[in-house]
Amino acid sequence: MLELLQQPAILISSIITLVAISLYFDEYFERKRSSEAQKKIFQETKQKSAELLQAAEEAQTNLLSQGDFVTKQLITKYSDELSDSIKNSGDSISAAQGQLITFMQDLQKRSSDFEEASKVSTEKRISQLFERLEEKLSDFLIQTEQKTASSIELELKSVRQLIETYKNAQLKMIDENIVAMMEQTLSIILTKKLSLKDQLDLIYEALEKAKVEKFIV
Amino acid sequence: MNTTLAIILKDTFTLTQLKTRIRALKASLLNKFFGGDIEQPPADLNWLSSLPQSLHQQFTKDNVYKIFEDIEKAIPTLPILTIYLAFEPNENSISQIAAFARKVPFPTLLLDIKLDPNLLAGCAFVWKGVFRDYSLRAKLEEKKPEIINNFKKFLR
Repeated sequence: MLELLQQPAILISSIITLVAISLYFDEYFERKRSSEAQKKIFQETKQKSAELLQAAEEAQTNLLSQGDFVTKQLITKYSDELSDSIKNSGDSISAAQGQLITFMQDLQKRSSDFEEASKVSTEKRISQLFERLEEKLSDFLIQTEQKTASSIELELKSVRQLIETYKNAQLKMIDENIVAMMEQTLSIILTKKLSLKDQLDLIYEALEKAKVEKFIV
Repeated sequence: MNTTLAIILKDTFTLTQLKTRIRALKASLLNKFFGGDIEQPPADLNWLSSLPQSLHQQFTKDNVYKIFEDIEKAIPTLPILTIYLAFEPNENSISQIAAFARKVPFPTLLLDIKLDPNLLAGCAFVWKGVFRDYSLRAKLEEKKPEIINNFKKFLR
């Protein structure tokens, strides 16, 4: 023993070995205990599962029996509701059909009223249009007549003025010719008939007149 | 006024006559003082001979040009009456007209006689650039509407 103590490596190895062995056994027993516990739990679980399965089967059976009844009830209920719905729908459809017919009749009536009103309005408008057309045509004709009359009047006035101008020009020309003819005649006659003394007398007279009029000052 | 011009104007009545006579007198005097052989028309010679001796004595070789220069300057200042006549007057007629016209206030009045047969009778004057017609033509023009009306009445 002392030898052993004198060799620490062997001692340490021995201690480690002992610890390992103790740990092994501890682990072994621990696992064994665990396995047993597991087995126990498994047994319990299995039993409970069987119980549950049985309860489930019972419940299923109950449920099935109850489900048929509920289904029948539901079918009956739904059938009734469906019948009601169908009936209600039929009523609604009938009502809607009635309303539609009423609406259509109303619409037809309105349409005919509108058509009548439109016809009356159109006739009235056409009548007004014709009246306006007639008025405008009448105005246009009156204006045209007035313009034509005015134009003719102006033309006549212009022609009259032209004639008057021509007449005056002709008369003036005749007057000028009369004077020219008279001057020419006088020139011929006076040259022959007017004596020098008479000519001188006329010049003296003119000189006197010019002095009197203060022309020669 | 120039005394020489005043003597000339006594029996010279028209502007044309005055210019002709001054030219004739000048020619005669220049001929006398400076020599030459210029022939004068008989009418001018007659007039020159009618001039008083005192007029001829005014002129010398030294003043002849000066006197004529003064005369030529004085001519535009003379009163000139342009007179339009319907007939061509003779010397006598011109003298009579001028004598009548020269009664106060224009003793040195000169006539510038022009011929216009369209005047018919009487005359027209231009005095200081203004024309005035005293002829028969003017009277006819004045009475034109009346004459025409009378003619028209006659024609109706």
